[in-house]
Amino acid sequence: MDLAEAIPRLSLQKYKMKATITASSVISPQHTNSAHGFPQEINEIISDHLSCLEPDYGTIINPIQLRRMPRILKMGLASAQLCINRAGGISPDAIIVGTGLGCLDNLEKFLLEVLDNHEHITSVLPFIYSTHNAVAAQIAMLLKNYNYNITYCHRGFSFESALQDALMQIEEKQAKHVMVGGIDECTHDFMLIHSYLGYWKQPLSNLQLLNERSPGTIAGEGSAFFMLSAETGNGGPGVSIEGLHTFFTPSSATYIDTTKEIDLFLGNIGLDKRDIDSVMFGLNGNLASDASYYTLQKNFFSDSTNFLYYKHLCGEYYTASAFAMWLASVILTGRHIPDVVKLNNRPDKHLSNILIYNHIHNTEHSLIFLNYGRI
Amino acid sequence: MRPRVFVTGVGIISAIGNGTGETLASFQNLKTGIGKLSLFDSVHAEIPVAEVKNNNSDLARLADVHDGKAAYTRNTLLALVASKQAVIASGWIDTHEKHTGTVFATTVGGMDFNEQYYRSLLENDRYKDLIGVLDSADCTEKIAACFGIRHHVTTISTACSSSANAIMLGARLIRTNRLQRVLVGGTDSLTKFTLNGFYALEILSPTGCRPFDRNRNGLTIGEGAAALVLESEEVADPKRIICEVSGYANVNEAYHATASTIDGFGAILAMNKALESACLQPSDISYINAHGTGTEINDLSEGNAIEKVFGNSVPPVSSTKAFTGHTLGAAGAIEAVFSSLALRNQILLPGLNFTVPMPELSFRPRQKVEPHPIHHVMSNSFGFGGSNTTLIFTKV
Repeated sequence: MDLAEAIPRLSLQKYKMKATITASSVISPQHTNSAHGFPQEINEIISDHLSCLEPDYGTIINPIQLRRMPRILKMGLASAQLCINRAGGISPDAIIVGTGLGCLDNLEKFLLEVLDNHEHITSVLPFIYSTHNAVAAQIAMLLKNYNYNITYCHRGFSFESALQDALMQIEEKQAKHVMVGGIDECTHDFMLIHSYLGYWKQPLSNLQLLNERSPGTIAGEGSAFFMLSAETGNGGPGVSIEGLHTFFTPSSATYIDTTKEIDLFLGNIGLDKRDIDSVMFGLNGNLASDASYYTLQKNFFSDSTNFLYYKHLCGEYYTASAFAMWLASVILTGRHIPDVVKLNNRPDKHLSNILIYNHIHNTEHSLIFLNYGRI
Repeated sequence: MRPRVFVTGVGIISAIGNGTGETLASFQNLKTGIGKLSLFDSVHAEIPVAEVKNNNSDLARLADVHDGKAAYTRNTLLALVASKQAVIASGWIDTHEKHTGTVFATTVGGMDFNEQYYRSLLENDRYKDLIGVLDSADCTEKIAACFGIRHHVTTISTACSSSANAIMLGARLIRTNRLQRVLVGGTDSLTKFTLNGFYALEILSPTGCRPFDRNRNGLTIGEGAAALVLESEEVADPKRIICEVSGYANVNEAYHATASTIDGFGAILAMNKALESACLQPSDISYINAHGTGTEINDLSEGNAIEKVFGNSVPPVSSTKAFTGHTLGAAGAIEAVFSSLALRNQILLPGLNFTVPMPELSFRPRQKVEPHPIHHVMSNSFGFGGSNTTLIFTKV
């Protein structure tokens, strides 16, 4: 099927969409776990995967509550708690989590007990924690938060779906403050199985990710939580999410017209591609999937656009766009683009917005538009 | 003005039949789908389960799957069978005639393939073509590809409330004018993984579940899928409208990873908030399709919550899980289809296996199909992690 035919004949409904990022917290392979914006020092790793630099969890959450908890839950609970602390202790009106694979490590653990141990189960905990909503549920328990609580598990749409729901909660006036997170962990078995599909490069420096021009990427992981608010009321400068769009193209599709989707999206939020200061691409070093980003850079956006990338810092994973949203928000707040994320070199100019474009295997595509201004 | 959301087509496949016709006949004849495990070998083979009676090649035929190259898990096949029924029933012709999305739900996704191939995958790449279908998003992407859906494609996984939440999200996508039509639903196939998980939790019934019975002894795992086409009032064909999605609420009990409170705090909150969102009073509800798993704790907790919300005038209640088993991530959608059948046919749906009332509760679950004026149906779905969702469906 030619997907150009498949663009709806009706234009998408226009709808108001705006939420302010009032706090965030990120655990990633970089030194991102402080409230002070972009890290001073970049973590260079020579490997086929990037693992998170994990904080001392006991300083963030009562160690008794973390007892026997799997790593991904610790990461999720710690980043959620820090996000809330930074938001001034607000208990959110909704908790929404996106995770491509959920508590994968526990799922694998329990599966192997069933398969290898003749169904003699030594502990039921991995089964309990293997449910995809364990992170969101444990956050609710930690906070004693009885509000809307949901988990999206859809590959490269997981975080975007969570974000969309958060924006809807605010628009529906069901929530003033929503905590939304994207979280995934990388496991040994996941790396192994996906190596058969040629997903990973040979070990290399993460900072050389785009220079090899070879198939495959570098695996990653992370936990990024945000407090989104309907309004801050302070009138000061800040970062807002002013647009979000996702589109799906099945692997059977012969032709993908990404530019039509981007035009459609920008039109819906009242913008033209010339209004975009900076574009942050989900380039991951894999020749086949990176081609579409380079084509957009060359043929679609204006030459004066800043082009940025980020997966050399966090690795590739289903919710890497949550890391991208954090990075874009600290760049906008800090009024400065660090050299390490620049794809091209433009003289410093007025920087008021960033469009994040990410896709996973050309299948799940997402656009997130962040704007800096009075909030 | 937020548009109203109508159900214009439903599809279902469960242990009590393929399609709404077989399903209704099973209810009329009080014929349970619970029986002996046949899908795979297990040391727990003596524990009854509720299997869909079709094997995978049968399902592939029902799903009209022609793509010989692609791999289809049982989970995804069930989802496709239910979706095709719903789409056909709704009079859906061209996906792009309306802004269309899809939201599906599952708990363990392609676990049936994981159980068959994971061990081998850890050793070599012989089954590498199956790697892409092991997760929870496979069912949704296959559905989206099948019907040419490009926007608002996502998957929810919140344990046993998953597909109730998918219906809620679908309705909200229409009410906030993001979509005009959305295919929503849930699917879960029976797996060794879940059978062993619930066995280890010691909540599987050795006899077949007995919801709201004093001598209830646990839940029975089932499998199946259900799908609903939701459309906004401005585009729905009036002739196709089955009922309205009039209320919904999702809350978290924030109490325990697997258990609910005895007083049913989370269930009370979910039911009250759903009533509020539908602008209804408890007395407006004609029938409650309870979560009613048949475990000691759920039925006490939910029963107490129902009595708290409805006081002295509890409407007719039943749990259909004695027919279908607990279909986990599919349960919310399956029971939403049941709710739509109750509304369309103006009948109360029965439970089964009930003999002795619970001393703590004043109400008894209904035991046969009875004609009854049905205006509003409440459907509860509760899951691990305190995830409690209540939906309300209304006669149009």
